[in-house]
Amino acid sequence: MTDTVTFKIKRQDSKSSSSYWETFTIPYVPNSNVISCLMDIQANPINAKGEEVTPVVWESNCLEEVCGTCTMVINGKVRQSCSALVDQLEKPIKLEPMSKFPLVRDLVVDRTRMFSALKKVQAWVNADGYHDLGPGGRLSQEHQETAYKLSECMTCGCCVEACPQYSSGNNFLGAAAISQSRLFNMHPTAKNMAGERLDTLMQEGGIADCGNAQNCVEACPKSIPLTESIAEMGRQVSDKLWHNIFKA
Amino acid sequence: MDSHFLARRIHSLTGIVPVGLFLVYHLYLQLYLHSGAEVYNKVINGFYDSPLAIWALVIVVYIPLFFHAFFGIRLIFESSVQPSYTYFSHLLFWLQRISGIGVLLFIIAHVWNAQLGPWIAGTWGTHFEHLSSGFSDPDSGMITKAVYLLGTLGAVFHFSNGLNTFCMTWGIALTPKSQIRVRIFSIFLFFILAASALYALSAIW
Ligand code: HEM
Ligand code: SF4
Ligand code: SF4
Ligand code: FES
Repeated sequence: MTDTVTFKIKRQDSKSSSSYWETFTIPYVPNSNVISCLMDIQANPINAKGEEVTPVVWESNCLEEVCGTCTMVINGKVRQSCSALVDQLEKPIKLEPMSKFPLVRDLVVDRTRMFSALKKVQAWVNADGYHDLGPGGRLSQEHQETAYKLSECMTCGCCVEACPQYSSGNNFLGAAAISQSRLFNMHPTAKNMAGERLDTLMQEGGIADCGNAQNCVEACPKSIPLTESIAEMGRQVSDKLWHNIFKA
Repeated sequence: MDSHFLARRIHSLTGIVPVGLFLVYHLYLQLYLHSGAEVYNKVINGFYDSPLAIWALVIVVYIPLFFHAFFGIRLIFESSVQPSYTYFSHLLFWLQRISGIGVLLFIIAHVWNAQLGPWIAGTWGTHFEHLSSGFSDPDSGMITKAVYLLGTLGAVFHFSNGLNTFCMTWGIALTPKSQIRVRIFSIFLFFILAASALYALSAIW
């Protein structure tokens, strides 16, 4: 092992300025991860040419791969930087911001589009008052296992970053929101709004924008069965289509 | 439900019914190439004997195919290349698009070569002789053969892989396990249809 690590970081000073690559070489620390290295660069922001520059900006929070904020493109693939161990990465380590979201600065992007998608599919349990609704029904073990897996989504954006159908030119909801609509359509109370969720999925930017490339399921750090969710919601909208044509 | 959703579903459906089924039927008819000129011409002309033949072709094949192709080209421009994600399904996703363009070019060449050309030239009816002389032409025979080979293999791939994604689009293959089963079936289908197409072509190679 060498005693330094080199990072090539794609930087951009503001929303409107142009991007540039900057190289940083920092002392190697055993068991470090990309975030801890970014902290080292922040503490001592001197690039490989020896110039003192503005510190690199990134986002992070939980540092244990559950919040999703630290997502970036590392050596060409999107993933969480807090769980990207330096020892396991090819050097020099290339860091880029996600390409599918508006850039804020350096490695920070604005993922609002993901959260708007969750609002559009009403990814919550709808309760229309404060009155006591009584105890919920008992859920089967199988139901719990499926729902638990889906509930692990942290809206990190890996799935949509890798998706060839998700771009700034369209308004595709993306795999995460489709999967969340499945989670809430199976919830005993939230499923009252199932029809509205399906209506959203049948609108522009809905499930029809998926082209079955299946990159999302490969990219998801939580191993959420996204193509199963997409197929399940494809089935639900197929039923709804049938209903709209023959029964409505 | 908006028109884009409907258009996508119609696009997906037309790929199987009727265009995909026509492809299978069409490949089946070509096996008669092995029965010689007389039988082959009789089989093909038999289809056109019906006063409805041309209507059937236009309504069942050409209009749905035209829609599928036109909308398919639109879809290709909606996708963005993600070269660093090298997964098998992702490769198939792009092969589906590339083969779509290839099949469109092939169909144009094929309809001209086998249908419109002979009609205009007034040599309609001697299909076998027309095809085999095209294949053995000393100048253009090799090109014709290559176009037919690539075109049929492209069409067979596009249909087989399309059947796979169709089952996801409509929610027929739900679980990862069933999606693998459907994929295995579609690979199997690809080899069967490709073998049938190559065998048919071998009669006039
Ligand atoms: C031999 C004629 C053709 C047949 C049998 C056929 C069949 C199919 C089938 C079954 C699908 C899958 C639909 C789905 O995933 O739900 C499909 C998809 C597709 N077809 Fe075709 N097709 C043909 C010609 C064409 C042509 C000429 C084009 C235009 C260039 C084209 C472009 C596409 C595209 C882009 C897709 C992908 C749609 C997606 O994955 O979302 N196809 N086709
Ligand atoms: S589905 Fe997976 S990849 Fe997509 S946002 Fe959720 S956790 Fe991230
Ligand atoms: S299956 Fe492919 S096209 Fe559909 S959401 Fe996932 S990555 Fe995107
Ligand atoms: S900091 Fe929360 S996932 Fe990396």
